[in-house]
Amino acid sequence: MDLFHNIVLGFSVAGTPFNLLLAFVGVFLGTVIGVLPGIGPMTGVALLIPICFGLPPSSAIILMAGIYYGAMYGGSTTSILVNTPGESSSVVTCIDGHEMAKKGRAGPALAAAAIGSFIAGTFATIMLMAFGPVLAQVALKFGPPEFFALMVMGLTVVTSLAGRSMLKAVFSTLLGLAIAMVGIDLQSAVQRFTFHNLQLMDGLEFLVVAIGIFALTEVFVNIADMKNPKEVTLEKIKGGLWLTKDDWKRFWPSSVRGTLSGFFVGGIAGAGAAVASFVSYGIEKRFSKYRKELGTGAIEGVAGPESANNAAAGGSLIYLLCLGIPGSGTTAIMLGALMMFGLQPGPLLFVQQPAFVWGLIASMYIGNIMLLVLNLPLVGMWVKLLKVPEYLLTLFILIFSFLGVYTMNNSVQDLFLMVVFGIVGYGMKRADVPAAPIILGMVLGKQMEEKFRQSMVISDGSFGIFFSRPIAVAFLLIAFASITNPYWKYIPMGFRKLFKRAA
Amino acid sequence: MAKVAKREERIASVVMTVFAAAYFAGTFIFIPPTTIKQQVGPDVFPKAVGILMLLVSILYLIQQFRGMSKEADEKRAAIIGAEEKLETKADLKTMGIILIIMFAYVFFFDILGYAITTFLAFFLGVLVLNRKHLARDAMIAFIASFGLYFIFSLVLRVQLPAGPLSLLGL
Repeated sequence: MDLFHNIVLGFSVAGTPFNLLLAFVGVFLGTVIGVLPGIGPMTGVALLIPICFGLPPSSAIILMAGIYYGAMYGGSTTSILVNTPGESSSVVTCIDGHEMAKKGRAGPALAAAAIGSFIAGTFATIMLMAFGPVLAQVALKFGPPEFFALMVMGLTVVTSLAGRSMLKAVFSTLLGLAIAMVGIDLQSAVQRFTFHNLQLMDGLEFLVVAIGIFALTEVFVNIADMKNPKEVTLEKIKGGLWLTKDDWKRFWPSSVRGTLSGFFVGGIAGAGAAVASFVSYGIEKRFSKYRKELGTGAIEGVAGPESANNAAAGGSLIYLLCLGIPGSGTTAIMLGALMMFGLQPGPLLFVQQPAFVWGLIASMYIGNIMLLVLNLPLVGMWVKLLKVPEYLLTLFILIFSFLGVYTMNNSVQDLFLMVVFGIVGYGMKRADVPAAPIILGMVLGKQMEEKFRQSMVISDGSFGIFFSRPIAVAFLLIAFASITNPYWKYIPMGFRKLFKRAA
Repeated sequence: MAKVAKREERIASVVMTVFAAAYFAGTFIFIPPTTIKQQVGPDVFPKAVGILMLLVSILYLIQQFRGMSKEADEKRAAIIGAEEKLETKADLKTMGIILIIMFAYVFFFDILGYAITTFLAFFLGVLVLNRKHLARDAMIAFIASFGLYFIFSLVLRVQLPAGPLSLLGL
């Protein structure tokens, strides 16, 4: 009964004409971002946050969630037609998707991606509805030590899956935490790293860093590479845009497997959308009836991974809304944005802002349907976007970055800092240091410190508090395992060496 | 190419270590002591972050200069689908010019106002990057800069510096 009441509440919020329009604008812009080469979902969401200013929070999150979903969706279109993945989670889709397109089956491939995403997105939303409130209830009982441990776990799990080298990923996370320390410390009114600069007293604005590190870095990457242009060959869409009866038969099992594995591996275990899509492809390779055809344009290779990455994206929203822990770079940016609106995602959100939470959930259903309707018939239009010359696109990213950052505080200093972070971001890109963990560290840093200090007040300065509470211990153990597991295999080697020496 | 990447990684490891050391040192200099008695003062958390950062960057430095195997990293990258490494040589000259345009843009932002600065920056960018369709691109630059200015300042009521346009009463 309660659930029913909440759903009605949600649809009454999301169903207003204005919010419906925003959901539409969101999925539309999101798809544009997903399709455009050189703008990943993180850049896109960061660039579009400024257009949410001035909207009430529930409308703003509806718009942002639409952008997020749209970008996830749009990425698959370019994977299939051009063989360039829009983001890392549609890399796998390229394999069979593009092969299908080459064989003249681009239509069914696009349809399988869209329908798979729709099914997975809907499944994740239902799960959020069913388990979100339960999880929030549990989390409400957490004290500062549990929250601190939870944040440590959130950071390490995401860090352990970012980038090629674990050391660099950890460094990046710590850099984010370091940046979060700039500004006046609220508990002691001490200025930290402000250099007596008035604007730095409020700390570094998160969008300044995010847009600098993502959008400007992409600008630099594009410019640095413009002299060696990539060949783009676009596969034509022949035939219908729908699945045949035979396609449907093969589509269902893969999509269901992809949805479930994506949701649990990518969402619940926190592995993220990219890993989810790889896992799903692996599952198809093992269990699909048509596994021999994979790699040569089998529909399973599209339906599975595309379902998986969307289910994972939905799953990480559960953490964001119920615990306030972002499960991916893009959700970290959304978390930062919500905080800018004065909302603190976490268990209290479900209790204090039911209209906000359920409005968002309802808008996710609506957004998913809109995406399905919007994407398939308009695919021809999306493809035209690929013809925008790269240098114009780059310049547009540039002016939107400046505009977005300026409108936030009307501060020219922010613009300057953004450029500096753009240079830092490019340097990191060249050195292959992953950038997403910085944002994660930055959004969680202040809270993490606060929870740490509160815990220490409770325990009167003893670290024992983190090890005497079972939930906190469990979180910390997972955190430790996630970050050390690549090195475990060296342990027996070390022992052998040790014993050899002894013997 | 592999050689360039290796040198770049070495430079990066040095830069990271220097930064971490500077940050850690900074926690002693740029965080003044408080008079309030607290279990955990305002300097503890930054110091912890600083020391961890220093530790990680030194490990990375050792890894780079003692030449540890990259096999594990590559395996990891394949499992998690890490992004491709940038291995092409950067066109530093063009990048430098664009960077100068960006700094100039920030400098003139308040003086010339949003619309004019943006138009100039966009058009200069076109001149640097691709001169094949100058007339069309100038048109695009004009519509984008003045269009955005009017949409934001008149429709959305977001304040953007007007610059000389204020003399015209816009």
